[in-house]
Amino acid sequence: MISEARAGALPEAEPAGEPGWQWLSPRSLVVRPVTDLLRALPVVIGLLFFGSRHGAPNLWGLAFAGFAIATSIVRYCTTRYRVTGERVYLRHGLLSQKVLSVPRDRIRSVDLSAHVVYRILGLRKVHLGTGRNDRRDGGSLHLDALTLADAEALRAALLASPPPAPPALGEAPASGGLDAAVASGPAERELARLAPGWVRYAPLTLTGLVIVGVVIGSAFQVIDATHVNITAIGPVHRLTVTLSHLTLLQRALEVALAVLALLVLLSVAGYVALFWNFRLVAVGTGMLRVSRGLLSTRTTTIDTRRLRGAELSEPLLLRGAGGARCLAITTGLRVGHGAERGGSLLLPPAPRGVAAAVASAVLETAVLESAGAEAVAVGAESVGVPAPGTELAGAGAVAPAAAAGGWAAELLTGDLVRHGPSARRRRYVRAVGGAGVLAAAGVAAWAAGAVPAWAGLGSLILLPLGAVLAADRYGSLGHRLADGWLVTRTGSLIRRRSVLSTEGIIGWRIHQSWFQRRQGLASLAATTAAGRQHYTAHDVPVAAALDLATSATPDLISPFRTTA
Amino acid sequence: MTPENAAVPMLPGLRDPSRRVSRRAVAYWTVRAALDGLILLAAEGAVAAGTGLGAGWVIALALTLLVVVGYVLIMPRWRYRVHRWEVTADAVYTRTGWLSVTWRIAPISRIQTIDSHRWFGERLFGLANVTATTASAAGPVHIRGLDTATADRLLDELTAATGALPGDAT
Repeated sequence: MISEARAGALPEAEPAGEPGWQWLSPRSLVVRPVTDLLRALPVVIGLLFFGSRHGAPNLWGLAFAGFAIATSIVRYCTTRYRVTGERVYLRHGLLSQKVLSVPRDRIRSVDLSAHVVYRILGLRKVHLGTGRNDRRDGGSLHLDALTLADAEALRAALLASPPPAPPALGEAPASGGLDAAVASGPAERELARLAPGWVRYAPLTLTGLVIVGVVIGSAFQVIDATHVNITAIGPVHRLTVTLSHLTLLQRALEVALAVLALLVLLSVAGYVALFWNFRLVAVGTGMLRVSRGLLSTRTTTIDTRRLRGAELSEPLLLRGAGGARCLAITTGLRVGHGAERGGSLLLPPAPRGVAAAVASAVLETAVLESAGAEAVAVGAESVGVPAPGTELAGAGAVAPAAAAGGWAAELLTGDLVRHGPSARRRRYVRAVGGAGVLAAAGVAAWAAGAVPAWAGLGSLILLPLGAVLAADRYGSLGHRLADGWLVTRTGSLIRRRSVLSTEGIIGWRIHQSWFQRRQGLASLAATTAAGRQHYTAHDVPVAAALDLATSATPDLISPFRTTA
Repeated sequence: MTPENAAVPMLPGLRDPSRRVSRRAVAYWTVRAALDGLILLAAEGAVAAGTGLGAGWVIALALTLLVVVGYVLIMPRWRYRVHRWEVTADAVYTRTGWLSVTWRIAPISRIQTIDSHRWFGERLFGLANVTATTASAAGPVHIRGLDTATADRLLDELTAATGALPGDAT
């Protein structure tokens, strides 16, 4: 398709008149109708098998589908893209024509994604991310869609570093040039690959719950669209009859078991669908590539120049089973709800040791890239690998690294500086105090005769639960600064350990509530353009918080410190 | 700059930002707090009148009035003592809040945009605020309650300072 340049058909009025403008794959025309058909399939099946109360088909739906198809044809016919030595252009629009362009040296990620229809047709969506400001849509450029071969060639060409010297104006990058870039691509090194056994962690995350919600939602949609009376369907009818003969307790138990089984089944299915064929590959030292997916596939490329750190996240259940996820802290890929859907995931739920190993391998790759061999030498020196076996005293001290690169593993698994007795007391006061208020209200309501005894006295169980929560929350608190990396750990329901490069810190926020002031504590947040935008060490003693910030960014904080 | 500055800073080890906001901010905050309190009282009074204005409601209304009056009298003055700011050659440094206090430090080199909003209410009092955003969604630094002339001068200074620096500030 790349050689199929139809430059002659383009208007001459703008730079677009130059050769090199290319069409998207004509196969992308088929995507929309096929997707609509597949989406309508459940409704069609429902109509065929269960009949309908009201026979009239939804004409609005048909009209909408027709409009969508017409739109996709217009979109295809009016969209062109062009890759020159300096920029990538995308032009689209029928009435008001728009030309988007991105400088090639600003392109930080090239992601290929495909849902089932794309895969059947051999197509890939291409997203070019600049990482400039991930909150604005203007920062990225989408090509929907190219053939797989073209998409991969484009990615290889765009991410080949350093960017090729700008060719003479008007010289179209022919397909030969792109192929050459693929052939001379840097060496790939696999950092992680999905092990089938990891599926056991699937039921321990909330992904299953989300999938159950989606499935139930779409089931209701189908029922609604087909006007089928589900209680009239044989199995459902028998089920409701059987259930109605049981006692309340039995009914509740049966429903709970069924929901649990469904959750496990769907979360395993979801894990397989999202993460099948998961691979994390370092391409040379400049790039990380994550590819995954069973039916819908997604390939994310992360430029290590944009990497500011890594995060281990352990949701409570997953933590109990010794599992963890690993996320990249990088500018341009925003961490949102459900990191599996975003681009920042480096490892799906997996054994904790594997997650830590992957995170440290990623950090090491980033350091290798960011400053070359010089940084490695400095890093090894400051980590301190003097005589092997020398133990450094002190809880916060860095243990001697046995192997080269042990520094990163130490950041991810080593001991942290604890926040001390005041922070512990604060956790208990907040958790047990809150539980105490609720319990007191429960008991008072029972005494006043508003609620039955089991509810009133049962609320007392909140007190030990609060204490457990407080202990766990305090157990999570910790921080550390070593070799230019700020490590913070926090949270109980989801415990997160973040390792953030101090070079990625673009400001500080110190927060002190009235109670914290009385206890001499403060919460210190390092703000950054990457990942969650801020990483906080909660309830640090004030002096320790200020010293931490000063050591992390001396130039920024020192002028505001008092010498006393 | 102020006599209190020489004393122990609010956060031991970190000196207070040198400049206070405009004295008129106290009046502005007082009016806003009073308006918020009136809305709360009006809503509560409407519900109370709708349900027959029992003795319980009268007590609740009286308590609310007490809290609102206390808030209107105390909060603006307390806030004025806390709110401070300072712009050096390298950084913007602010302190905001009253019961809870937040210190923010953002390097000038990482500032992406500078803007100034003048809401209708602020303009009535001759006040303005200046916001410096960084590439971090968590990092905007607000300086509220400046008098208009200071805000204009600050806006020019910061714009000149940030415009001179290269890079994309991430």
